[in-house]
Amino acid sequence: MGIVIAVISGKGGVGKTTATANLGLGIAKNSKKCIVVDFDIGQRNLDMILGLENRVVYDLVQVMNGEASVRQAIIKSKTDENLHFLAASQTKDKTVLESDKVKALVAELKAEYDFVILDAPAGIESGYEHTIEFADTAIVVVNPEVSSIRDADRAIGILDSKSQKVKDGEEVDKFLIINRISADMVKSGEMLRSEDILDILNIKLLGKVPEDRGVIDASNQGKPIITNKKSMAGQAYQRIASRICGNSVEMKDIENMNSGMFKKLTGMFR
Amino acid sequence: MKNRQYSLKVLETTVDNEEKFIEFFNTHYPLFKDHLILIQGEISTEIESYLQEKKLKYINNITLPKGRSRKALEEELNLSTTNQIDSKEYDNIKKELEELKVENAVNQQIAQVDMRKAQEHIDKLSKKLNSNLTVMDNMIRSGREIDINGDLLLLNRVNSGATIKTTGSLIVTQVVEGSLRCDGNFMMITVSPKANIVFNGVEVDNKLLENKLNRIELRENKIHITPVIKKDINWA
Repeated sequence: MGIVIAVISGKGGVGKTTATANLGLGIAKNSKKCIVVDFDIGQRNLDMILGLENRVVYDLVQVMNGEASVRQAIIKSKTDENLHFLAASQTKDKTVLESDKVKALVAELKAEYDFVILDAPAGIESGYEHTIEFADTAIVVVNPEVSSIRDADRAIGILDSKSQKVKDGEEVDKFLIINRISADMVKSGEMLRSEDILDILNIKLLGKVPEDRGVIDASNQGKPIITNKKSMAGQAYQRIASRICGNSVEMKDIENMNSGMFKKLTGMFR
Repeated sequence: MKNRQYSLKVLETTVDNEEKFIEFFNTHYPLFKDHLILIQGEISTEIESYLQEKKLKYINNITLPKGRSRKALEEELNLSTTNQIDSKEYDNIKKELEELKVENAVNQQIAQVDMRKAQEHIDKLSKKLNSNLTVMDNMIRSGREIDINGDLLLLNRVNSGATIKTTGSLIVTQVVEGSLRCDGNFMMITVSPKANIVFNGVEVDNKLLENKLNRIELRENKIHITPVIKKDINWA
């Protein structure tokens, strides 16, 4: 029996899909069977970021409507055989999702994989509600800025009231990833500090990912940044994936790391 | 010589009706099993054997010394002006005072032999409290709207985008970043620079809330803000 993880954020553009792709690959690299499912019906992106754009034949909606079997729709990743992918439909919209069909699909995937990662759509509409409904755990992705924090707060509030696990009297575990941290901006006080974010959201910290120019290029090329061992963001995602797989990895103090090339140079002459 | 001082609980009672007496002790046994029972008047053998069977300690026809009120004692000891008393002695007196206070409470208890009446009174009071005061300790996340008919004591944060409305008084012990609408007699809130606060229809300037805990009241159509707990002083 696997674990169903919903990756949520509330606000768009904070890096949900990037996180999903990287964590999926990271978990697979830890030799666990993992499937990433794009629940952003109508605006699918995950296929591009994983570099599986040209392999999509059947999508999630077709599987749920019985037009294709799960086995037919699942795409195996080129980079790691443990990573599988299920694409969202690009032609339909979020209203096509139905609770019992989602439940059946999630149950089927849960039985087969160690980790089922659901990439939630931005916003808090029905598409989001269906994504979180049958999740065991949620990973909340935020950027260190107020609008992202408030939207995440709202998304957590909905998770705590609408999830099936909560209705059964249990609690959904929630973990936080703070994405796109810029050490310089935190130091100068322009960016929210992680402690403040944790104070506001009151959930456990899973990891911090630094701002990295390489992420956009990696997404464009369809090679998630985690495959780049030199990248700071890639290393951060590796640590987070390892934590998800149950290893205890020390939390790196990203805010106080000297990352810039200029700083490295000035450090040499000191 | 070894001295030991005890405070114990005493139940003073009389035996008017044997059946009622036994029934009373049967129902209230857990409450009085560790009390010393002082029975004024004659005790029949039946009662005696009942008490022995229940292993209740009792004494008969004794006037117990009653404790004096704390105020009288304080006056006598003149604590407020006794600077000469060294700290050990002071502690001893304080301890004694505390013990006397307990004894006083016991004496009051004795006065209320009719427990049922007292219980009814307590029930009534707690019901009154229940219907008016709501205590919450969960976080109020963005998008939640709490509407309380009565007073609210909130022991957690109010996040940005959440709203709290009360018809009664409101106390929030943690930071507020959302909005508060309070129509009660008073509000108590911490430093909350991001909060939007409306008290009895008047918007409160949250820059004035500079202390750790502030009381906001409406007197003669004017809002008064007074500190309850002052700012934390950082000695470092």
